[in-house]
Amino acid sequence: MSLALRPSFPDYESVSKHNNFNPYSDNGGSVVAIAGDDFVVVGADTRLSAGFSIYTREQSKLFPLSANTVLGCSGCWCDTLTLTRILKSRMQMYQQEHNKTMSTTACAQMLSIILYYKRFFPYYISNMLVGLDDEGKGCVYSYDPVGHCERRTFRASGSAGALLQPLLDNQIGKKNMLNAKEEPVSKEAALSILKDVFISAAERDIYTGDSILINIITKDGTTEETFQLRRD
Amino acid sequence: MSILAYNGGAMVAMKGENCVSIAADRRFGIQAQTLATNFEKIFEMGPHLYVGLPGLATDTQTVMEKLRFRKNLYELKENRPMAPKVFSAMLSHMLYEKRFGPFFVEPVVAGLEPKTYEPFICNMDLIGCINQPKDFVVGGTASAQLYGMCEALWEPNLGPDELFETTSQALINAFDRDAISGWGATVYIIEKDKITIKNLKTRMD
Amino acid sequence: MFLTRSEYDRGVNTFSPEGRLFQVEYAIEAIKLGSTAIGICTSQGVVLAVEKRITSSLMEPTTIEKIVEVDKHIGCAVSGLIADSRTMIDKARIECQNHWFVYNEKMTVESCAQAVSNLAIQFGDSDDDGAAMSRPFGVAILFAGIDEKGPQLYHMDPSGTFVQFDAKAIGSGSEGAQQSLQEVYHKSMTLEEATTSALTILKQVMEEKLNSSNVEVMTMTPNKLFHMFTKEQVEEVIGRLSVEHPVSLNVGGSQKV
Repeated sequence: MSLALRPSFPDYESVSKHNNFNPYSDNGGSVVAIAGDDFVVVGADTRLSAGFSIYTREQSKLFPLSANTVLGCSGCWCDTLTLTRILKSRMQMYQQEHNKTMSTTACAQMLSIILYYKRFFPYYISNMLVGLDDEGKGCVYSYDPVGHCERRTFRASGSAGALLQPLLDNQIGKKNMLNAKEEPVSKEAALSILKDVFISAAERDIYTGDSILINIITKDGTTEETFQLRRD
Repeated sequence: MSILAYNGGAMVAMKGENCVSIAADRRFGIQAQTLATNFEKIFEMGPHLYVGLPGLATDTQTVMEKLRFRKNLYELKENRPMAPKVFSAMLSHMLYEKRFGPFFVEPVVAGLEPKTYEPFICNMDLIGCINQPKDFVVGGTASAQLYGMCEALWEPNLGPDELFETTSQALINAFDRDAISGWGATVYIIEKDKITIKNLKTRMD
Repeated sequence: MFLTRSEYDRGVNTFSPEGRLFQVEYAIEAIKLGSTAIGICTSQGVVLAVEKRITSSLMEPTTIEKIVEVDKHIGCAVSGLIADSRTMIDKARIECQNHWFVYNEKMTVESCAQAVSNLAIQFGDSDDDGAAMSRPFGVAILFAGIDEKGPQLYHMDPSGTFVQFDAKAIGSGSEGAQQSLQEVYHKSMTLEEATTSALTILKQVMEEKLNSSNVEVMTMTPNKLFHMFTKEQVEEVIGRLSVEHPVSLNVGGSQKV
């Protein structure tokens, strides 16, 4: 009798079956950020889900860390909660130790290191850190779960990251367009592209939908905006 | 990694106003290693009928030969060209016959119905489950990227030239974000009395 | 002496009834045995100058190192127990590198002084971090650096207290030198002026005759950052001294030598 066809008698099993505990869950969500010369916009959908169930339709995935720095998170929600609390306390400790607010660039480096310190039991999060750099230019830092960090002008990450990144390459990076040069986008253009790409993502990605929360960061501070998406 | 992603490849078909398009990349590789940049994945099956077979390259060619055989036999017996709808049903059955030892291809069919010249597109999974939407279908390893592109770029009633531009932009930008497809593209625009085939130059990395 | 200090000067963590920590006060006294070091902060940069005591003609003067680089943008001059200073400089260097590693930015001079100060007060009882140091450090440090606030000079004593200064002298000649600095210093001083002033004052308070091998001079400027003067550059400054800098120095009687 072949191995696969042998009937199973639990009492006579020679090796013990053990249920492997999986510490991670994928709670979905997408984050898109676009940086310009003197601003940066970041949007995240507000659906929190697992498998085929929706936990909530109104969960913000954007975390303001300072007046001009915002973190967008998608992936394992419990890791996001822990990481953002650690970051919040680190921001406060820095403020008190050095008598100044942490810059976006410093925060970007610190996040990379916090993530790498858990190299062998990572925070399962796609992070996107946005803000204004020391010259006041918009910047977007994207991360992998173990702290690889890259600065770019636009980025899509999370469950619909693969769907949206080529679209941003084309519409903002002007890739594969004849006689078109990549130039800084205006705030209005960035905002409308951001909404358009989320509409597309909500059509095809079941983990992205309900609505998006948008943060617009300029030298005058952060403003918030919401935009409805399909809810099915 | 899935055997469907062993050779890599991207495929898309779109409906337009009295025309359809079908396009694919030209790469043939084994996992990360590119072996050829002139590999055809789209095959002519009739005057207004094309089939794209992204997936495992050996099955691409085997399925294409089997389809050609069955289609030729049909045309000899029936003495009329095979309609895209009929062709798709035949392909679906052929794949389902191998339900438990499938061909690793995700076919895309594009064409115009005989007589009415009604645009037709469909795709199916590797065991022949047909999906026949009104706008576009995608397949291959860059399908997530293609969904994002097509969902944003496609609109109803595109003319042949606009359809060409939309299809090309969707395909190229999608496979530029996929490591195992790209290296050139072929686009077919199928109209009532004209078939346009264009080979596109793209980035080769 | 026994009556007033009555054994309260034994333990490093025992206050006297008057509320004093004698061991710390003694450590501060120890600095006054050290060689003189002077720092002047100008809008163009900071200059540090220290005397090196060459106690034997057989000694190799270049091996005495009292001005050190902590990071490209921070330098230190030390006076007191040089061996103790090595531990503190190590700490400062590690903190600066760690700050760069974690935040990808230069550590501010103030934060660097704060970090070293945290080490300086870790004498006394041992805790979870390991065994304690048995006594306070016998060193005073001048931190010269450039950060986002511009050129800065900080002074730290063995109690861990650190204060920002426009000009500061430490070591055996510090009392007289500090008084002279007070007279010489003005806000619009150039770095070159500050360098000559520093050496003029050093010359006045040193026992030995000042020459290019028994002083160390360093400047910290926004462009060149940490720059240690070569023997030739020191000689050039010494050459300028008597001619163009007839500063009336009042090196008074209270000065300890």
